Amino acid sequence: MHLTSLLLPTLLALLPTPTLSKHHHAPHTTTTITLRVPALPPHLPNPSLLPPSTRATLTTLGAALSAPLSTANTFVFRNVSRGSYLVDVHCLTQAFAPLRLDVVVLDVDAERGEEKLGVQAWETYRVSVLSIFKNPIILLSMVSMALFFGMPKLVENMDPEMRAEWEERQKENPMNAFMGAASGGNSNPMGNFDMAAFLAGSSNNNKAEEGNGGRAKVEGKKKR
Amino acid sequence: MRTHLLPAAAALLAALTPTAHAVFRDEVGHIDYHHLLLGLPQRETTFLHRPRRADRASLLYTLSDVGVVGAVNPAAGRCCGGRVVRDLEVMEMTESGPGRKDVLVLFEEVQQTVLRRLNAEDGSVVWEFREVTRDVPLQVSTNVEKVFVVSLKGVAGAYNLKVSVLDTLTGRRVDEMVIGTKADVHGREDVMFVGANSAAPVVAWTDSSRQTLWVNVLGTKTRQEFPLPEDTVAVEIHAPHLVQSQPHFLVHSRTATGHRGEVFHVDLKTNVISKAYSLPLLRGPGSFSTSSDGANVYFTRITEDEVILLSSQSHGVLARWPLKAGDSKAVAVHGVSEVIKKSGHEDSYAVRAAAVTDTDDWILIRNGEVAWTRPEGMTGGVAATFAEIPESEDLARSLEAEAHSNPLQAYIHRVKRHINDLQYLPAWIDSIPIRIMSSIRGTDAVSTTGKLVRDSFGFHKLAILATKRGMLYGLDVANNGRIVWSKRAFEIPKGSKWDVKGIQVHDSTGQITILGANNDFVVLKGDTGEIIEAKGPSGEATTQSTALVDTYSGKQLIRIGRDGKIGELPVYQAPRQTVVTRGADGEVKGVVFVANGTSSYESVSWIFTPPQGQRIVHIASRPAHDAVASIGRVLGDRTVKYKYLNPNTLVIAAVDDSTRALTVYLLDTVSGQILSSSKYDGVDLTKPIECAMAENWFVCTFFGQYTLRDNAAQSLKGYQIVVSDLYESDEPNNRGPLGDADTFSSLDPVDVPTGGVTRPAVVSQSYILSAPVSALQVTQTRQGITSRQVLAYLPESHGIVGLPRVVLEPRRPVGRDPTPAEAEEGLIKYHPALEIDPKSVVTHERDVLGVEKIITAPAIVESTSLVFAYGVDVFGTRVAPSFLFDILGKGFNKVALVGTVVALFAGVLMLAPVVRRKQINLRWRAPM
Repeated sequence: MHLTSLLLPTLLALLPTPTLSKHHHAPHTTTTITLRVPALPPHLPNPSLLPPSTRATLTTLGAALSAPLSTANTFVFRNVSRGSYLVDVHCLTQAFAPLRLDVVVLDVDAERGEEKLGVQAWETYRVSVLSIFKNPIILLSMVSMALFFGMPKLVENMDPEMRAEWEERQKENPMNAFMGAASGGNSNPMGNFDMAAFLAGSSNNNKAEEGNGGRAKVEGKKKR
Repeated sequence: MRTHLLPAAAALLAALTPTAHAVFRDEVGHIDYHHLLLGLPQRETTFLHRPRRADRASLLYTLSDVGVVGAVNPAAGRCCGGRVVRDLEVMEMTESGPGRKDVLVLFEEVQQTVLRRLNAEDGSVVWEFREVTRDVPLQVSTNVEKVFVVSLKGVAGAYNLKVSVLDTLTGRRVDEMVIGTKADVHGREDVMFVGANSAAPVVAWTDSSRQTLWVNVLGTKTRQEFPLPEDTVAVEIHAPHLVQSQPHFLVHSRTATGHRGEVFHVDLKTNVISKAYSLPLLRGPGSFSTSSDGANVYFTRITEDEVILLSSQSHGVLARWPLKAGDSKAVAVHGVSEVIKKSGHEDSYAVRAAAVTDTDDWILIRNGEVAWTRPEGMTGGVAATFAEIPESEDLARSLEAEAHSNPLQAYIHRVKRHINDLQYLPAWIDSIPIRIMSSIRGTDAVSTTGKLVRDSFGFHKLAILATKRGMLYGLDVANNGRIVWSKRAFEIPKGSKWDVKGIQVHDSTGQITILGANNDFVVLKGDTGEIIEAKGPSGEATTQSTALVDTYSGKQLIRIGRDGKIGELPVYQAPRQTVVTRGADGEVKGVVFVANGTSSYESVSWIFTPPQGQRIVHIASRPAHDAVASIGRVLGDRTVKYKYLNPNTLVIAAVDDSTRALTVYLLDTVSGQILSSSKYDGVDLTKPIECAMAENWFVCTFFGQYTLRDNAAQSLKGYQIVVSDLYESDEPNNRGPLGDADTFSSLDPVDVPTGGVTRPAVVSQSYILSAPVSALQVTQTRQGITSRQVLAYLPESHGIVGLPRVVLEPRRPVGRDPTPAEAEEGLIKYHPALEIDPKSVVTHERDVLGVEKIITAPAIVESTSLVFAYGVDVFGTRVAPSFLFDILGKGFNKVALVGTVVALFAGVLMLAPVVRRKQINLRWRAPM
């Protein structure tokens, strides 16, 4: 099951296109709202492949409208009256961010007693780009990035005297000395460890005391 | 309830694990199962139809009794799609112009009959016909040029049939006629049939005693009278639904012992109905169905043992097949059929008929053979429970017999038993290779004997499902939800439902008790479904609910009568704790039983009446199995917050309709004291409000819309879930006023200056959910070490989501990042919006329709909780909220492990002699 989440910025892909319609019997003016799901590569290259159970809902206090996904990849809500709505797209395979949708009166036609309705839509909560810089991990990685790229530049730009001094200090660094010694390999205590002798049950210390037996074994081994 | 703090570290470990995929791809269909169901097809809304004119194959369409529209491929018996519809009266197609078919929809509004013609392409209203009357609209029908609205005129019990004739193009009324002068229609159910889309649609009705049948050809004013056979109990009319078909119809009359059919012809010119022939009375129940092929009309008759094909022209039998229904005896109640006349042969026909049987199955009979069976009766589940598979009773009995006899006899008995057992040895040896192979491949060894056996993980359990139609099902949850048995408990008359109030499993005996609302009960065996004892429902509802209580004779399911009255009970059957009931006015009462001699009587100990204007919408209590692994939560700084673990608590959600406020009360059920309450404004009361409770926390979900109290500029709208944790005190390492006391009493408040009752410290937080949720349930595990999930059904996207408790955590830091100590505890920064991640949906891409309730049960392994959801579809799975930490996954490479061990062993065996020889040689060879 491979499910891609479209948790963040796909939300304004839903474009409301308001069209005015006047209902015969309802005393107040209503409008039709069409929401379109566009193709959004890479998460949603083809919205026609969304499962047929995909539907959108318009919710507000005391009302809930629901519309299925049409063959034209739209959700059509008819007879939507004035108010502020929450748009949710319910889908089994993709997650859509919610949308706030306000149906407002643009102007009133006093002669005909009609109201002209307009639709505004925006995200329910805004994600600021700056907010990701508040994350300490991002900050830390940015500092290390700066060091990584900035340090060679800084060294290059130093005047020769200071540079020599700096390199001298680098050498004096106890850490460097230790690491240099380790890589030198001349004083490794395990360097001359005789594995065969160790396995044969003898060691450097007791070789002499033990006498012939031990040595004989070692020599015999060497001869073969 | 005070236990040791030992497993605190384990609980913390479990809580720290992150959330990830609820289901892996290779687990789909292995750990979960889904019965994709439609509901019982209704007689008048089921038909075979070719979806595209070019297609040869037709699909079986139905609108079921639970309001699901769906299509089934008749060849495979697989479901093509389903959708729940509501408030739909009648749909009819009418042709308008080439290729376009519009839909006529009849609505019943308050004192109004509304008929709308909807554009078939975009659903817009073409015209609307509205009539303000007191009539009961029945159906809409159409012939080629006119639309007929059939309604009942008059008062209840004495109706006349009224037909309004409308113009197809404009929807204007052309004519209106009342058929019959005497008010002879008793009610809606007396009108048997309103034909449609045929050359001469008819309407037929009977008197309430089923003696006479009246038929009227729509558009005419006359009715014709036909006598019905004696002792008729039910009448059905079958007519073709094609305009080009001959206007013939069949009257199917049922008596108590048999059924018969009479075929009538309508003369298109004179509108005179004449009886053509009658079919013989056959014993037993049966069904008729029509099928039309051009002008020809065929009737298919399915009896108990035969499928008979007839033509509407004459009574000669065209074809006849014996019905092979397999082991189960299927009795068709109603069905649809499709007749194909084979080309080339003169009189060779093929018939396939989809029929609903008396055991609520939907079967397809192809030329007398049952091609598939769909258990559509599993829809409309009203109660379900998990039951352990009973241990072999014979073994238990013989062991008991050995224990009670003298040693010599017991020994002989035992030897005999062992010799007897030897006969199973070859089969057992035979099964060893299969078991080893399946264990290596990671597949389940399928029990070949079909016997139910428990497994060491505790996944093999039975799910017992009771449906509103009176059927009972036993499902093997570890074996893809296979139906082990199905039984009809009661015949529930059409229109009413079996109202199951309680279901109890006796694990010791393997018996299941089901109590219904109408003083009915069933006791059955869990493994076979054999009904031991049953009493049918009576006419009136006597039971408000049931309660599983502790009595002196073990756990008992007791009935709570209307208005919360239980009545006297014998002392040994009386509950030992407080029973919480609902009173006549919806108040909540605590009832204790007081012993008086050999019987005990109930006595109300407290009453909780919600404040004026509030009504209770939901009550949640802690589940019966609610294991708590740790009495505290270890914080990041190694201090402990102690949980408030009072088992006698209850969450009550009450709403105020005038102020749109929701108040959530936490009640102590022993004293009736309110421990805490919280109020939420701007709650939509028309949308579901639900609560769930477990351990020391509870959640409530509702739709809320309000402005924030601390920031009036910001408003909030959406489905919310509020989670509240209860602790013994606000500060860590403080056990509150009770201290380390071993016991406490709700009735005996400790003497502290601040107040009488020990109240818990409540920490709450609310989250906005991206979708509405319902049917809340908390996962249960054996020890409670595993972190929990809140399982909920998503009514909009038809899935079940598992919300992890780590996310629903009221102590998540608000407005700042968590400190290292908090991060160690597993707290993440609070974010108000809680997206329903498709990865946390346990049903993944399955479309699970109409879940009413979810039940959970612990398995033997700690990590796993069994889940079973019912409603329309039936779905079950296993969830592991903290992952499968105690089971090897399917991805574990057993072959590599075993291979490595074997290779090492072989290497050791090979090298051992070589090494030995070398060592010996070394000792003996002289040094040189």
